Amino acid sequence: MQFEWTVEQDAFRHKIRDFLASNLPDDWETFSEHGPASPALTAFAREFCVKLAEAGILFPHWPIEMGGEGLGPWEQQILAEEMWIAGEPRGGQYMNVNWIGPTLERYGTPEQKARYLEPITRGESLWCQGFSEPDAGSDLASLRTRAVLTDGHYVINGQKIWTSYAGLADTCFLLTRTSDDRKKGITIILVPMDTPGITVRQIPSLIGEGDIHEVFFDDVTVPETARFGQEGQAWEIVAYSLRNERLGIPRFTLARAALDRAVQMLKGQERFRREAVRIEAARCAALCEAAGTANYAVVQKRVDGLAIGAESSSARYATVMAERAVCEFVIEFLPEALAGASSYLKMHHQRGIVAGVAAGSAEIQLNIIASDVLELPRESR
Amino acid sequence: MQLSLNEDQQQVLDFIDSLARPYAGVPLHDVSLALENAELDAALIENGFLDVMAVEELGPVTAALVVEKLARLPFAVEAAASTFVRPLVAPDLPRPICLVEEDRMGAPLRFLRPGATVIVIGPSGVRSFTAEEEHIAAAQEDTLYAYPVAFLQTTPQTLTTHTVDAAEVLRLWRVAMAAEAAGLLGAALASTVTYVSERKQFGRPLATFQGMRHRLAEDQVLTNSVYWLALRAAGTAQQGDAALALLHAQEAARRVCYDYHQFLGGMGITLEHPLHLWTYRLKLLTAELGGRGEQALAAADALWG
Repeated sequence: MQFEWTVEQDAFRHKIRDFLASNLPDDWETFSEHGPASPALTAFAREFCVKLAEAGILFPHWPIEMGGEGLGPWEQQILAEEMWIAGEPRGGQYMNVNWIGPTLERYGTPEQKARYLEPITRGESLWCQGFSEPDAGSDLASLRTRAVLTDGHYVINGQKIWTSYAGLADTCFLLTRTSDDRKKGITIILVPMDTPGITVRQIPSLIGEGDIHEVFFDDVTVPETARFGQEGQAWEIVAYSLRNERLGIPRFTLARAALDRAVQMLKGQERFRREAVRIEAARCAALCEAAGTANYAVVQKRVDGLAIGAESSSARYATVMAERAVCEFVIEFLPEALAGASSYLKMHHQRGIVAGVAAGSAEIQLNIIASDVLELPRESR
Repeated sequence: MQLSLNEDQQQVLDFIDSLARPYAGVPLHDVSLALENAELDAALIENGFLDVMAVEELGPVTAALVVEKLARLPFAVEAAASTFVRPLVAPDLPRPICLVEEDRMGAPLRFLRPGATVIVIGPSGVRSFTAEEEHIAAAQEDTLYAYPVAFLQTTPQTLTTHTVDAAEVLRLWRVAMAAEAAGLLGAALASTVTYVSERKQFGRPLATFQGMRHRLAEDQVLTNSVYWLALRAAGTAQQGDAALALLHAQEAARRVCYDYHQFLGGMGITLEHPLHLWTYRLKLLTAELGGRGEQALAAADALWG
């Protein structure tokens, strides 16, 4: 076992930092306090990701046959850490390189790969996930947005909610119901967001402008070739994607960075001498580092070519604990940080409070750990 | 970064597994509060398992893996201090090794007995002596802690001074305790999971109730991360990592010991189930080095000054 980064991994991290230092504007820290799905950051990301692509650091972790450098999971992790700590200048495009691209490669038709992968590799596309519905959040398998195949076209009717990036996305990775057979009746359709019949409405939120939407589908018609995978294959594909997505955002790094920032602010005001503050800060650091090592243990499995299972839920829950602790620390000892118009700590709070809800709620992670890590007998339903 | 076990580490752990197999079960209805086994201890010494720190291709991470593994056994083994601290202070000190802070000489000392080495750490540096009958108060037959413990009633007038850095000894002590706690946490969790999966109430296994499942799942998250923080602290040799690892272990111990005894109900109060062997060791470890508040302050000093 080796807990230090290799020389090559350190060099890769510095390459990204150097790129960020050279290519982010001087007012970036203030600017990045816009939510990752805000119009301002989305517009910025469209230019920034093109530069990343040109510099070869948009998707260097992808396999060579996909146009990447085949650098592997540790480099993907380092890339994600540096981007997330910096306030995620890729905006919603982080999803493209984390899981949409690899999922397209694994399950897409040649036509779908040709149509969608190239814009991703140029840093020019933005996707949204049409998963949750008003009556299907954690119970995703009860979703009702219906797709009916008629004369070679799917006609889609229904509603999605809490959809990030929907306001500006080009394409929706949409879960639809094609039969009443619960999980086996769900089908993925890739829907261009400019298709007639789609209405997007923004929902005001705690986490910033432009992040949360509801999306209505009224007789939205797409060709049968827009189906992704087979009818009824969505559950398998989404399970594969979410295992990547749960580790996709290295939230523990931003939590730790926010904690360090909070400590520096407290020190600057002579408020870090009190033992009560120091003890709570250390508890937060322990939770951040605990989440970090739990995440790294899962990345190692990916490096070793092993299937990622429920341990990703354990790492995710550790991350939720860290995010919660740091958010609460800031409010308890620096309450002014959330009262002002903008600050790094407010930005962290707005991103951190999502950890227990996005990519499967914390309670769903606990269900998975209980059943698949601890192998407890199944719960009665 | 490389978090898989290497071949040497896997071999060491496999060897311990086979050596410890005869000691993995608990003698039913013969469970005293503090179980020890001299044969197991001798076998560990004979096979060099407590000396892995000094072996170049093994080193501190392997030492942490060994301590974690041994802590899972129902028998208490003085492995942590011998494995981590003794090589730095003086590799030939007689075992068992008892570590005590200079300003907490009145604490219950694990494994203290005539012939043991007591290492005293504090502002006066690192000093040691061999414990004799006269130094030890009457044996504690009624300890609840599942370790053999005793109290010092006096110390020799002259102690042997060791020219080692007290801060480094404290760091290794924290790593050693975090690794031991990781093993105890793992064994206590496994023991509880087995019980609640078999025990039925209301016509179904206790483990099918979500109130219990979610708490056990949270306990798994803590247990898993204590394991990784302990190994990392061993590997990086940073003061901050050592303090965070023991802090997290002591926080986790407080939480899970309560949960597991609750989940076992009446059985968890008896000595017919071995749960207490791990939980009451954990409880004593929550007091080690002044407890979690002291680890937190040490971590804050190391991380932020």
